[in-house]
Amino acid sequence: MNQLEAFFLKHYIKTPRRNIFKFSFVFMVLGIALSVGILSAGLNLFQGYESNLKKLLLDSFAHINISPIYRDSIDEYSSDEILSIIFQKDGVSSALPLLQSQLMAQVGGKVRAANLMGFKDNANSYYRDYISQGKQEIASGEIIVGHYLAEELALSIGDNLTLMYPRLDQISAFGLHSVTGSFEIVGIYRCGYYENDRSIVICDIDEARDLLNLPIGYTKIHVKLDNPDKAPYYGRDLAQELNNRFTVIPWNYYAESLLRLVKMEKWLIFILFSFLVLIAGINVISAVGTIILDKTDEIAILHTLGAKPKSIKRLFAYRVGIVAVIAVIIGQIFGLLLSWLVEKQGIYKLKGDVYFIDTLTFELSFTNLLVVFFTSTVLIFLCIMIPLKQIQKMQVMDIVRRNY
Amino acid sequence: MILKASNIYKSYKDSDQVIEVLKGASLEVNSGDLICITGKSGCGKSTMLYILGLLDAPDAGELEIAGKIIDSRSNHAHEFRNRDLGFVFQFHYLIEDLTARDNVMLPLLILGKSESQAKKRADELLDYLGLSHRLNRFPNQLSGGEQQRVSLARALANDPKLVLADEPTGNLDPAHSSEVWGMIRNLNKELNQSFVIVTHDHEAAGQANKVFELSEGVLRQTG
Ligand SMILES: Nc1ncnc2c1ncn2[C@@H]1O[C@H](COP(=O)(O)OP(=O)(O)OP(=O)(O)O)[C@@H](O)[C@H]1O
Ligand SMILES: [Mg+2]
Repeated sequence: MNQLEAFFLKHYIKTPRRNIFKFSFVFMVLGIALSVGILSAGLNLFQGYESNLKKLLLDSFAHINISPIYRDSIDEYSSDEILSIIFQKDGVSSALPLLQSQLMAQVGGKVRAANLMGFKDNANSYYRDYISQGKQEIASGEIIVGHYLAEELALSIGDNLTLMYPRLDQISAFGLHSVTGSFEIVGIYRCGYYENDRSIVICDIDEARDLLNLPIGYTKIHVKLDNPDKAPYYGRDLAQELNNRFTVIPWNYYAESLLRLVKMEKWLIFILFSFLVLIAGINVISAVGTIILDKTDEIAILHTLGAKPKSIKRLFAYRVGIVAVIAVIIGQIFGLLLSWLVEKQGIYKLKGDVYFIDTLTFELSFTNLLVVFFTSTVLIFLCIMIPLKQIQKMQVMDIVRRNY
Repeated sequence: MILKASNIYKSYKDSDQVIEVLKGASLEVNSGDLICITGKSGCGKSTMLYILGLLDAPDAGELEIAGKIIDSRSNHAHEFRNRDLGFVFQFHYLIEDLTARDNVMLPLLILGKSESQAKKRADELLDYLGLSHRLNRFPNQLSGGEQQRVSLARALANDPKLVLADEPTGNLDPAHSSEVWGMIRNLNKELNQSFVIVTHDHEAAGQANKVFELSEGVLRQTG
């Protein structure tokens, strides 16, 4: 920046009413603020969705799943062995043996698929954090049911639910034989991850074992880590230490691609919404064109006094640039407000069966703020530069002569 | 010798007709000259002046400033306009947004002088031209004569070798007009400042040490 540019920049800032807060800028500012606001809100909400989904996945799923390869279940002895190996490692926050299986939940004439779980140690089980109604303890004959499952079957606390486990090994001429058990609902489970909320049923492990007709033992061991991102490393180590007698699967195996997809969608939305800023840029182009026409005399004077066209162009770029940057900041504040409103409103809800989670929340990330700020500013500056090309082509002679 | 223009040709295309304005006009300006150019309206005086001032390029002919041949289309033309030439137009062409002082500071800032240096020089010049009480006025708060004196101060800011003026008093009443002419004469006498001035005012032209008339595209010395 040379002396002349610095001088004018100072002048613009010192007398904003003459140079910055002008009526000819109103629509330009409005356009920028609106488009940047929508861009930021879109990104904030998508960021919230992404973080929410990841948090839910990590909270309500095992970070590492250990299951038997050759048999139906892990016996008590192997389970103790596995647990001792797991707990030797740093960074393991919990490891829970459990029984899990798909079966049917039935009430009246309605039947739904359900995912039955029975934990060895209910007191330490992570489902307890997600009991939205009722109690966390389960005694024999009692059951906890996922929120949407209960809703679909029109059940609430105190009602009875029948679980049916079809025995495929006992198909006879009389049809399918199935084991059934009746339970009283004592709690409602709701973690926010739709798939879980519409399938989970949790009962006492011994009753689950009877229902599934399994020997003493477990179908799985769920391991939770302090840092879930390290699950693949822990998984590899564990598999080796267990001599590959068990299947060891980190959460990433199931969910990583989903999270990547969501991340990709987030940036896709960002790119798409950036076009809104470009549309606002059209306003900028015409605003700058108007100012140039308005200031031809000034351009002629500066040219006559020997200022380089590049310098003259920059004076305009600074002047409009200040306005644009202010507009972008206003837009970002507006975006924040918009995301807050969307979060607080109750009219539009996400469809859980499509989007996995059913609540809209936004997350403000510093990186996103910067990304929005820089992308918008750069786009707008490009739009500012387009009409400034005229300045180089202007004939001072014509301007001076026009006044005769 | 400060400036030498030799055999300048310039024509304009006007729809289908070519108007030949300058047809081999030549002019030499020496240090301390106060030159007036007169001529009928539309004969090409302004055209000639803008060519001398590197604001317009001739079709043919050569322009020499301080011994160097200069192409007004080259990038150096800016530097010459800034350092070696000063301009005063009939209409004052002050920047409306800036005070008298700020307007005078512009050529200095373009040259790269610091703001405080520029301010000091601007105050000196405005003081010399009798405007020390108008430093912080905006152009629309000044009389026509005062505005023209501010233009003159701005033209003088970088101590140019030559000041070019296109009917500097053409828009002023007689009293203000003679005030500005007085200033020009003083600057020429006291500071040995060279001028080339286009004027219709024959009386004023009488104060020049050389008078040229532009007619049929060439300059002829008449006084
Ligand atoms: N851009 C242009 N296109 C066509 N013709 C032009 C253009 N600029 C100037 N002319 C013509 O060139 C001639 C010279 O113009 P110029 O302004 O130099 O005259 P002048 O002597 O300064 O006149 P005045 O005394 O009225 O200021 C005029 O006839 C004018 O119409
Ligand atoms: Mg003229």
